[in-house]
Amino acid sequence: MSNVIIKASDLAKSYETGAVTTHALRGVSLEIEKGSFTAIVGPSGHGKSTLMHLLGGLDRPSAGSVFIEGTDLRGLDNSGLARLRGEKIGFVFQFFNLLQGLSAKENIEVAAMLAGVPEKDQGARALALLAQVGLADKAGSKPSQLSGGQQQRVAIARALVNDPALLLMDEPTGNLDSASEAEVLEILRKLHVQGKTVVVVTHNNEIAQKAEQVICVRDGRIAA
Amino acid sequence: MTLSKLVIKNITRRRGRFVFTLMGITIGIASFVTFLSMGGSLKSEINRESAALGANLVVTPIGSCAYEQVSILTGEILPSNITMSEVAKIRSIQGVNAVPVLTEKSAINNKPVSLNGIDVVQMMKFKGWRVAQGSYFSGHDDPSLVVGSAAAELFKLAPGSTVTVRGQQLTVRGVLQETGGRDDLTVFLSLPQAQRLYNTGDTVSYVAVKVDDLKNLEGYIQTIRDATNLGVVSDKQMLKSVLSIVGTVNITLQMIAAVSVLAAAFGIVNTMLTATYERKREIGILQALGARQRTIFTIFLLESGFYGILGGAAGVVLGLLVSLTAAPYISQNAFTSFVKGSGGGLIDLKTVAGSILFSALVAVAAGVYPAWRAARLSPVEAISYE
Repeated sequence: MSNVIIKASDLAKSYETGAVTTHALRGVSLEIEKGSFTAIVGPSGHGKSTLMHLLGGLDRPSAGSVFIEGTDLRGLDNSGLARLRGEKIGFVFQFFNLLQGLSAKENIEVAAMLAGVPEKDQGARALALLAQVGLADKAGSKPSQLSGGQQQRVAIARALVNDPALLLMDEPTGNLDSASEAEVLEILRKLHVQGKTVVVVTHNNEIAQKAEQVICVRDGRIAA
Repeated sequence: MTLSKLVIKNITRRRGRFVFTLMGITIGIASFVTFLSMGGSLKSEINRESAALGANLVVTPIGSCAYEQVSILTGEILPSNITMSEVAKIRSIQGVNAVPVLTEKSAINNKPVSLNGIDVVQMMKFKGWRVAQGSYFSGHDDPSLVVGSAAAELFKLAPGSTVTVRGQQLTVRGVLQETGGRDDLTVFLSLPQAQRLYNTGDTVSYVAVKVDDLKNLEGYIQTIRDATNLGVVSDKQMLKSVLSIVGTVNITLQMIAAVSVLAAAFGIVNTMLTATYERKREIGILQALGARQRTIFTIFLLESGFYGILGGAAGVVLGLLVSLTAAPYISQNAFTSFVKGSGGGLIDLKTVAGSILFSALVAVAAGVYPAWRAARLSPVEAISYE
């Protein structure tokens, strides 16, 4: 059985704005192994986030293919992609992206609901995950009452609600101070140790140094 | 967390917008319910008045239309074109009991009141009134007044009270027991007295007719038409034509109300569309978390439907309150503003449920387009929205 969780072949993505065509990715091929810690690095605007979106099934490539645990994403309709995201992938974004009107616990409960966790189990699951990221006492706090680091930890807890095999993170420490960054990095390390496949898009050298595999994206291609 | 809980949290997050959108649909449904209730009470009132009139046939001047027929039921002034010789001709027909009525208006303490000049003996037999206070007219040309129970209460009249009609002071002789009809609000005087006061000569407004053989109603109608040059209508025909007018009025009012509900529906469309723009990023987050297009669609549709159900329920309550308090005044010119138990509040459970369902359906329909817009957002576009 293959140990590859993500396989991408000749991925290309272009956007058309009027008469102008922008090539965000120009033929990217890569493989990421299960349980690995991969950093995608490169200058801003060179296609890192686009690559992450394609790998996570948030967007469709203009050409090429993505396989996740052997499933060809080209064969999935929008619902199929949504199901795949809900079952197999946890996303963490630079700007935390918590639902503002809801508490930390409710944010996780919404994700649990979408992952099909019965309502009666959602509360306990949310509290356990908040405890895992060291925020058990912030369950009732709204995002506006939490620091950036705390919000990102809630976002990580939310990404874990479906116990995903794959965690895709886009600049998870990009908006954090040093202390918060250290906390988030420690959580990432633990998740990796627990066997999660972690893929992080980052500018952060420290994360890149800890990664087992570093993919550098430059001008929409993988640089050597 | 469930979808419905999430929906309620989403809606109530922006309280100002929530309240104003809700008010739109609430007012729309309230006006709908008010008109429905008023229409219902108007119909039942007409049925009641028709029954209280107690006539099988009504003879009116030829060419009278439904307006005159409504006026007979409401106690409005009618042209007095029927002469007593014509009344005599009707009376001479076998099996017919005809009672002439002269309808006029007066005012007591600056409030309008219906005055009926009646054949006092015949009318008593015809209606079977009972006297609550004082006594009935003593004779054919008794110069005093007999008043209906509601009129007595309204104008504080009792036997011995005096009322000025056309500059003449008349004494109240008796107060009738409550009949539940228009008679309760009417002041009666003898026909000769009324004809003198209003200078109508020997004419009357209409003739109420009871027949011995109900099966032969058409025959009586023809006989009266042949004997006189007057119009004859049966109570059922009159009821039918009056109800059809009321029905038209009701439908018109309800259509006006429906327009206000429609305007409220566009308010919902606006609110929901704004929400899809404002919550673009949130939609992207939900999609990243595994929400399918139909889940996003359902969330937005439920939000819209929630406005409909809540606005509908609030609208029904408000509409009932308005119809109970304001409708009697609104319907003052048409019917029975003071008669006990009339003028609104006539609405059943079916109408309540129907109005809320209507509101919910309109709101859900209003939410379809915004929900569709929200559902078809691409996850990346939504999540990258600043």
